[in-house]
Amino acid sequence: MNLRDLRLRTRALFAPRRAERELDEELAFHLEREARRLIDQGLSPADARARALARFGPVPLAADECRDARGTALVDTTIRDVLYALRGFMRAPLVALTIVSTVALGLGLVAVAFTILNMILFRVDQVPDVHEMFAVERVRTATGERAAFTRAQFDALRRGTSVFTDAYAEVSGMDTRVDGRIVGGSFVTATFFQVVGVNAARGRPLTSEDEEPGGGHAAIVLSHRGWDRLFARDPAVLGRTLLVNGVTLTVVGVMPEGFRGLAVVPPDYWASLSLLPRVYPFHGDGDGDVGLRVVGRLRPGLSQETALAGLGVWETGRTTDEKLERGTSSLTLLPWRGTVPQRREAVLVVAPLFFAFGLILLIGCANVANLLLARAVVRQREIGIRLSLGASRRRIVRQLLTESLLLALVAAAAGFAISRVVLEATINAVLTSIPPDIGDIVLVVPDADWRVLLFLLAGAFVSTAFFGLVPALQATRIEPLRTMRGEVAGDARPSRARNLLIAVQVSASALLLISAAVFLRSAMTATAANPGMRTADTLAVEIANEAVRTSVLQVLAAETSVAAVAASWPASFGPVRAAFAETAGAKAAVGYKFVSPEYFGVLDVGVVRGRTFTPAETTSTLSVAVVSETTARTLWPNAEAVGQIVRLEPDPESGTGADEPPLGSRTFTVVGVVRDVAGFRIAPLDPAVVYVPASATMPKASLTVRVHGDPDLAGRTLRDRLTIADREMVQVLGLSWVTRMETYFLLLAFWFTVALGGLALALTLSGLFGVLSYLVEQRTREIGVRMALGATARDVTRLVLSQSIGPVGFGLVIGGGSAAALATVLLATPAAAGIGQFVHVLDPVAYAASLFVILAACLAAASIPATRQD
Amino acid sequence: MSRHPVPDLLPGTLDLLILRTLQTGALHGWAISERIQQISEDVLQINQGSLYPALHRLEHQGWIAAEWAVSELGRRAKYYQLTASGRRQLAVEAREWERMSAAIGRVMKFA
Repeated sequence: MNLRDLRLRTRALFAPRRAERELDEELAFHLEREARRLIDQGLSPADARARALARFGPVPLAADECRDARGTALVDTTIRDVLYALRGFMRAPLVALTIVSTVALGLGLVAVAFTILNMILFRVDQVPDVHEMFAVERVRTATGERAAFTRAQFDALRRGTSVFTDAYAEVSGMDTRVDGRIVGGSFVTATFFQVVGVNAARGRPLTSEDEEPGGGHAAIVLSHRGWDRLFARDPAVLGRTLLVNGVTLTVVGVMPEGFRGLAVVPPDYWASLSLLPRVYPFHGDGDGDVGLRVVGRLRPGLSQETALAGLGVWETGRTTDEKLERGTSSLTLLPWRGTVPQRREAVLVVAPLFFAFGLILLIGCANVANLLLARAVVRQREIGIRLSLGASRRRIVRQLLTESLLLALVAAAAGFAISRVVLEATINAVLTSIPPDIGDIVLVVPDADWRVLLFLLAGAFVSTAFFGLVPALQATRIEPLRTMRGEVAGDARPSRARNLLIAVQVSASALLLISAAVFLRSAMTATAANPGMRTADTLAVEIANEAVRTSVLQVLAAETSVAAVAASWPASFGPVRAAFAETAGAKAAVGYKFVSPEYFGVLDVGVVRGRTFTPAETTSTLSVAVVSETTARTLWPNAEAVGQIVRLEPDPESGTGADEPPLGSRTFTVVGVVRDVAGFRIAPLDPAVVYVPASATMPKASLTVRVHGDPDLAGRTLRDRLTIADREMVQVLGLSWVTRMETYFLLLAFWFTVALGGLALALTLSGLFGVLSYLVEQRTREIGVRMALGATARDVTRLVLSQSIGPVGFGLVIGGGSAAALATVLLATPAAAGIGQFVHVLDPVAYAASLFVILAACLAAASIPATRQD
Repeated sequence: MSRHPVPDLLPGTLDLLILRTLQTGALHGWAISERIQQISEDVLQINQGSLYPALHRLEHQGWIAAEWAVSELGRRAKYYQLTASGRRQLAVEAREWERMSAAIGRVMKFA
């Protein structure tokens, strides 16, 4: 193709009328010129004209061949194909609508899963040369745990190695309070913005001058999200101040949209690392050292292996810093691109979503395939006619492909809309339904980008092509004569394919509904479970900063909604401190717990024998103890526990470090026996406990408060009051929170699976209904003959029903079996083993109930067409 | 294909004849067919229906260029003329034709 050709083609394409006019004029001129020649030879004008036409031959044919030379035939036929397909859709709008809506629904749901996967895996941050960014990770060789860096280690690494052009350190994901809202901050070294190489969209990024806290307010830079959330995209944001955890900060810049600071979800702001002790006075281990993540930009041309070797050389060369724990840890480099670095784990997390949504798509596509199989006869006849009229097979396949592509485009657009609605609605529902005590979680609706759109288009095309084109392609492999008469090719086995599709649909619905029933039953038992302590009106108050203990206690004493205050270490729902108990005749592993005298009353832990602590008994040096029933039974199986002496030795293996309260004595006289406390199902407690006395003023002691009235309201009031005493958020949690959280997540899983299962069942039923109606219609004559020969209506109903019972039963068996198999496999993986504790994956009631529901629904759907035989 | 009239000329020779006819200057379609007929002393009767598709094809190949101009009848006609690449193509095809007709001539004489 040359330039002139291109120009001519373009003209023919975009000014087709002009090209047509010129063609007509050119041919007309020829005829007129020829006629003139003949007139000059003496013919009459009419004769001359007829002669000229005869000599020329058929004018439209010549014109057509000229048009072919133009090379716009491709476009012309495509337009014709599109118009033909649209006419087909108009003729059978229900078919087109069914295909589009079912594919769009399934595809929309799969796109939801893909959008999430895209966010955590593929959507790298908009940072120049992001492939050069690597996080340095230190893994302890003994435990495999990741250890963070200190500031000194970061500075040493930056100075001592040359594998990075430069590096930054950050503490990210810090929740801070601004006007009562949770706002996420990232605290970074001044090198951060240079290393990522992204400039501010407004104002300036942070520089090294922001590192030294000088005069005036410290500076922060907002992310686009933070600008939107906190200032509603106010263009005059620069210079405005923000009160973050009580510290006034000045906005000096706003980063561009799309820059996430190499995180999956961007923080609301970035502030200098040197600000962290002011905003978070009690973060870290006391001497201002916090765990840092170190991220660097690799020198161009340096491979990851070479860089790692360089880092290793640097580490072994260091001798002075004892904190680096030489020899016990090794350095690794992790690609750091604003996606989840643990790709395999991320895929595993999203896999169940893909699976569940994929099942819906599968069921929908099975419906479509069933529909098309039923229509195959009509279609074959149409194609047969076109083949016998001389259309080439290639031409017909192209026409069918155009049809599929059109359907796919519409399905992809609808699927996109569905995926956005589902994402927004789900996240909105979670945010509004989540128990307030779980706290403010920041959930963002992941954005869709070109990858999601590409995925949708490809998915739509594959689904419509596979389920629309394959039956049609088979239709072109036919003998025109027979199909025109309506005879379907003899080797086609549509009934077997239909039965298989029904079985697949039923088993997929069974799988989803069984999951729903399992979650519902587990949630029901979770609500009914008794933790053995009072949770309805009790709140836990955690004091992170010992300096404010007295003022917190004063606030609690003055607050009218507080009925009583108890103290304990560890916290009331926390695991007990492991120890060995020794008596004259026995030795056993138990746990001990410091409790104030009010503890048993506030948490309703009933006395079985003897007494609890008197108000005067507030320290473990008094050598008195109360034991739980299990402890009493273990240590003194045949004797009365009250009055016995027990010796406690803390288990040195499970110490929590120097900050745990010391045991004031080693031997204790048992003064009472109390009921066992089972604890929550997601946090069960060791029932063998020895309680030793303590007071609320004991350092590290957690408080448990019984309140009057609504515990949620009281919790909010307390939170407000205590924020005045200490801006570092004294944590207040309702104890019912633990139960509610457990129930909440099970219910969330239930609603999720029941919605999907219901959808699956509805699709399956509509498919079953459609197929049976079609079959009954097809066999009207046969049924009429049967009835004329004496068959009763019941016989015929049984005949039709028996045809669907087989595949439905087969599907139920497969669905139930695969649910059980999946559950067993899931429990066998170490990561999910804990789920078995509170989700009864093999609950027979759940299985039976959901299988029965499906069977009943299928029979109902099948009986409507089966009984309609008049 | 059977619907189309079988061309009287050897395949491909129509293009060569058109290019050669246009060597002397711009002509419209009717004049091209007239010229070929006259010079060949009515031996070569151009199938007029296939003349125009050939002209359009040659135009797309860039060997001839078209221009509208007023004709001897006083109305607009489409005049074709050789382009530079058309001249080169004519030289190639003319050489090829010489070779071909010489070969056929030898076969007719000595075979």
